[in-house]
Amino acid sequence: MKKFLALTLVAALAATAATGCGKSDGNNASGAGGDSGEKVELVWLSQGVGEDAWEGITAPILDKYNENGKVTVKGEFYSFNDLFDVIEVKIASGSKDYDVISVDSPMVASYANRGMLAPLDEYFSDEEKAEFAEAGLEAGIWDGKLYAPPENTSTQVLWYNTALLEEAGITVPENDTTNRLTWEQVAEMATQAKQKLDPDGTQGIYGIEWQQVSRVYQMNALPNSMGGLNIGEDGFTVEGVINDDAWVKACTWYQDLVNAKVVPQGITADETGDYFYSGKIVFYQGGTWTANNCDAKGMTTYAFCPSPAFEGYEDKVATATGSWQFGVNAASTHIDESAEFVKWFTLGEGNDMWLEANGDVPSRIEKLDEIINDPDAPGYLKIGAEEAKTTAFPRALTPGFNEYQTILGNAWEDIRNGSDVKTSLDSAAKQITDSMAQYK
Amino acid sequence: MGNVFTKNKFLPYILIVPAFVLICVFKLYPIVTTLLEGFFVKGEFTLDTYNTVFQDPVFWNSLWITIKINIVMIPLQIVISFILAMMVNLTVRGIAIFRTIFYLPFTISLTVATILWNMMFNANNGILNSFLSVFGIPAQKFLLSSSQALWCIVIIASWKGCGYWMMFILAGLKNIDTSIYESAKMDGAGFFTTVFKITIPLIKRVLLFVCVANTTANVLLFVPMQLLTNGGPEGSTNVLMYEAYQSAFSYGNRSRSAVMVTVLLILIILICLVQFKFLNEKEEGRA
Repeated sequence: MKKFLALTLVAALAATAATGCGKSDGNNASGAGGDSGEKVELVWLSQGVGEDAWEGITAPILDKYNENGKVTVKGEFYSFNDLFDVIEVKIASGSKDYDVISVDSPMVASYANRGMLAPLDEYFSDEEKAEFAEAGLEAGIWDGKLYAPPENTSTQVLWYNTALLEEAGITVPENDTTNRLTWEQVAEMATQAKQKLDPDGTQGIYGIEWQQVSRVYQMNALPNSMGGLNIGEDGFTVEGVINDDAWVKACTWYQDLVNAKVVPQGITADETGDYFYSGKIVFYQGGTWTANNCDAKGMTTYAFCPSPAFEGYEDKVATATGSWQFGVNAASTHIDESAEFVKWFTLGEGNDMWLEANGDVPSRIEKLDEIINDPDAPGYLKIGAEEAKTTAFPRALTPGFNEYQTILGNAWEDIRNGSDVKTSLDSAAKQITDSMAQYK
Repeated sequence: MGNVFTKNKFLPYILIVPAFVLICVFKLYPIVTTLLEGFFVKGEFTLDTYNTVFQDPVFWNSLWITIKINIVMIPLQIVISFILAMMVNLTVRGIAIFRTIFYLPFTISLTVATILWNMMFNANNGILNSFLSVFGIPAQKFLLSSSQALWCIVIIASWKGCGYWMMFILAGLKNIDTSIYESAKMDGAGFFTTVFKITIPLIKRVLLFVCVANTTANVLLFVPMQLLTNGGPEGSTNVLMYEAYQSAFSYGNRSRSAVMVTVLLILIILICLVQFKFLNEKEEGRA
């Protein structure tokens, strides 16, 4: 009896240890037998949680792809900020849980440099690569290899609430890409609107907001539009770049608007859209996809015009660009199937469906030309396509982009919250410089 | 059957094996791995990471903020918890309702509590600014101000935690024989004399536990910084735990993160040692 009890205990312990400490066999839960002709389920790691975001927008596209029955794709969506953390935790540690990854274009260098992405040159012929606009293709290349073909690109348009402007008795002057509004004009109109619509601040109406406030993607376009650069040519230098006169001047202009309460404080990039769609923002600098979001939210009183220029810098207009690329997890056990899906979503029917559903600016030359030449194409997309060719200003290309965007994003937030502009930029430059040391 | 459990000298060891294995796997192994990780970069032993971190002003700023917030928050929470425990220890009708109310914040997830407080601290339309305006006090920036954000987080953490620590202290107070208080009263001891000469010495062990557990929880506090301030404004809430998180999960720099976590571990040990020294009962004093 004693032996029996002892054996039973030992067996139970062994079972516990085996269950608790057992190591995965490396296959993802659904991806059995990719090479044996059995059904394969790929997992796509992406951003945009919710029915109004990518999760909902891409659902019919994935359904379409999954009709083939053999290789199906399941999306797993996180918030924008969380996606970067998940990639750092899961993909950087060699996890096989995900096959396809949405990669923010400036992150391609960092991920590829660390071996997190599989090179895709063998899956894309030269003819197929030539279908992409140069900027989008270049963004997906690191060290001469294609790691992440573009899903689309992005450009910015100045949206405005026509009902609020009408109520304030303000008319936006005629303008186009050859005769742009100036930021100074926009600030003046926004200030007047604020004074007329919400003089005591009780209505929560603001004059101007940036869709991706305090994020380098969009905010850097302000100093860029005064001739400022994002990073030195070596991909590491920021001292004397992000704290030069152009940056100080642009950031001071921005901070003055915040101090005048024309630009709001305390609203995050995830919240700005709701403020605009609910009629709380007069001018809203945002991507071309804003029109679809307005339609989805039932907002009809909006119009748009090209991004403004700063007075005296009319020839230096810069618009935020770059968007999402598709990468394949280097540790995936289904690289072939993943690459096929990526090709379908970047060059095939999936990309057509995506562009139509999300209203983004295409990264395919054929689709860009279609928009420019189509008299019936939406005006904001025509502006976007033109900006993509003329004023699009790429983000910093550096393997330390994660540090760059976090530190500089915090500096933008500090400036919005009233910190001294020069001190904030100097501090950011110092921090980024220190953090870049590990990549040199 | 009884014989099997009492006579087999290996049985106690076998029975503690599951707990021991779990502690090793989920506690000791990660600690040892973290300690080692700070000394290795790309598989090679190096002190470079420590060297780099110790020359980094961001690290020293984070360390200072961690110390600053805890110098205020730990004593504050313990004092408030002690006062609350004294209050709910009174034998008054309906006191259980107050005990429940004070404990209630602890039952709310810290994430939810943080989001709720974020709404109240909202500089544009938060209820706190509306409340202040009633008294003619101008609107405050709260979480947007580099001089206020840290103390807003202290308020959130204390609101959430004090009720929890109160319960431990209350358990200690309940164990004190009421006859001791009666004797003290007869001897003419006042309120403060009773508290400092009788109550606190008699619940020293409970206070020690509360101090150690509270220190650990607060030094590792992270959620409000992650959800509300991202370490800002101007790095004013960038505690070491948040910087370590950023290093590991945003920058992919695990060895830098490991160094910071090691420093945190040492910091917690040092604070706990001090607390042990001041609060531990002398061995000879016990039966």
